[in-house]
Amino acid sequence: MIKVEVTKNTIIFLGHANYDEYGKDIVCASASTIVMTSIEAIARFDKDAVDVKEENNKLTISIHKHNNITDTLISNMLSCLQELEKKYSKNIKIINREE
Amino acid sequence: MLKFLEFNIQLFAHKKGQSSTSNGRDSAGRRLGAKAGDGEYVTAGSIIYRQRGTKIHPGTNVGKGTDDTLYSTVSGYVKYEHLGKDRKKVSVYIEK
Repeated sequence: MIKVEVTKNTIIFLGHANYDEYGKDIVCASASTIVMTSIEAIARFDKDAVDVKEENNKLTISIHKHNNITDTLISNMLSCLQELEKKYSKNIKIINREE
Repeated sequence: MLKFLEFNIQLFAHKKGQSSTSNGRDSAGRRLGAKAGDGEYVTAGSIIYRQRGTKIHPGTNVGKGTDDTLYSTVSGYVKYEHLGKDRKKVSVYIEK
């Protein structure tokens, strides 16, 4: 299960979707695409607004600048992930840890 | 070229070979079966057939070990024969 821990300035992704084997995991593909599209879009507007650190089984997005574009794209990413969670609740779980 | 991540739509998938499975074990083959063919000459004490249970029953001049292995009790020629309607036995005859 992918665990998504959300705070004001960080979004941490832990684990695997485990929907199917590598190459056929549609939940993983969907989550990966939502995340990549969102953070790459933010970087196109402001390359310093966010930062991404990838370690084994853990992906950390750090939000350095809050502005209208960054916050909108982050919010959109999270709502897409929430829609995914509704349909695949065994494979992805979003945890809001507002500080 | 993406700024942050290599494009990988299996970013959150189990990597190949990482899946943990509790299977994947097997014991070595026991090399069962016939060790002497029909008409073959064997010496006393030679193993004729390795088996689990009595697929083949001991016949004339053939003994059965505790693990159901069939062995010759005399030197002679091996003969596989029918035992009743649907069973088999193996015997060893001194004369062919």
